[in-house]
Amino acid sequence: MGNQNKNNRDAIIEIVYRILKASLKAILIYVIYVLVSPFIVPITEFIPDFFSSIESFLIIFIALMFLSDLTKDTIFQYFFNTARQIFVIGYLLLSMSEGVMSLSYENLILTVNLTIFYGIALSLSLLGFARSILQAIEYKSRKAEKEISFQSIQKT
Amino acid sequence: MKVPIRMLGIITSVFWVLLIVFIILAAYSIKDLKFDIDEPEVIFDTNGELIFNLPIVIDNGGYYSLKEFNITTLLSNSEGLEISKANSYIPDIPSQEILTINHNTSLNLNDVFQDNENYLFEDDNLHVLLSVGVNFAEVLPSQISTNFTFPWGAPLSNFSLGTPNISIFNSTHSLVSVLMSYDNHAFYDLVGSIDIGLYNDQNALLDETQELIITPQQTSYTKDIELYVTNSISLDNIQNGYFSIFFSTFFEYGPLVIPFG
Repeated sequence: MGNQNKNNRDAIIEIVYRILKASLKAILIYVIYVLVSPFIVPITEFIPDFFSSIESFLIIFIALMFLSDLTKDTIFQYFFNTARQIFVIGYLLLSMSEGVMSLSYENLILTVNLTIFYGIALSLSLLGFARSILQAIEYKSRKAEKEISFQSIQKT
Repeated sequence: MKVPIRMLGIITSVFWVLLIVFIILAAYSIKDLKFDIDEPEVIFDTNGELIFNLPIVIDNGGYYSLKEFNITTLLSNSEGLEISKANSYIPDIPSQEILTINHNTSLNLNDVFQDNENYLFEDDNLHVLLSVGVNFAEVLPSQISTNFTFPWGAPLSNFSLGTPNISIFNSTHSLVSVLMSYDNHAFYDLVGSIDIGLYNDQNALLDETQELIITPQQTSYTKDIELYVTNSISLDNIQNGYFSIFFSTFFEYGPLVIPFG
């Protein structure tokens, strides 16, 4: 009975620790964004809804990261990691369209070819996606190894 | 497997940080990029071409060099037909450097007036398409384009020849005087000569004269043109006819036929 109580207390401590860690990480990322955002202000002169787009992206990104940290050492961590990478790839692909951004202000038309930039960002996202998949495989194989060794110990 | 995964994570993170730093610096560099247009100059060259010289000052105060900088201007008339096209190209504008580009757009007045004589006599608007292209930081090719209208002032606006007055000059000649007037709405002074020929209705040249003209921009010209016809020609013979006019200034134009009578 006393042992079970201890286990429950450890589990609660572990969950609280994970929540705190995930929250701190999320806050840290948001603080970095707040610090960096004044440097992005010149862009908003050309793209008025740039900030709202970035903020939406950041909220979903942080939420997936928070869930991933919360479910650490379970298979769900890798699900959320993979989902986050897919979200980044999807966001890039959707905002990219043909890789050419065209904005008009009065009779001025600004065209920026972002193909190279998007290419690099997409490659990095794909690397992140591959890493998440590899991590999931590694987690499952580690778990399988543990089970096999546990079964062999039981047999002997 | 753990080590390769960790290495992959570190490399990806490093590249993400580099990419984000690049985006921030690029955005910051755009703020320090300044363009200034100096007073434009209008020059006439020996071939009768009107050259608009537009000095553009580029102050690249950003962190990155500007590659393949080019400015293109396209002048077209109200029907959309191309009149002139000019391009200025600078392969590289290094960071922290100030550069002045003289962008020249030439306009052959002979061609313009031969294509459409309305530009000689009627004010109009020319359409200008201006586009500036640059490869920012070697990875972001960008282009800004705009179009605007440019008022075209006719050098011989409201050109007219009045009703010819015929009077006896002496025993041998009659004097035909006619009032010639026009307004120079152009942004250049009109210097040259006008040849005027007086013809009767049988296409016979009765007399011709040459007038030297110096008409500063935005001023009017009015003068009585005097032509002398021999008295051997019957006065009835010059009641109907036409004036044939040739203009010879920065451009050659003619004959402009103005009938009378």
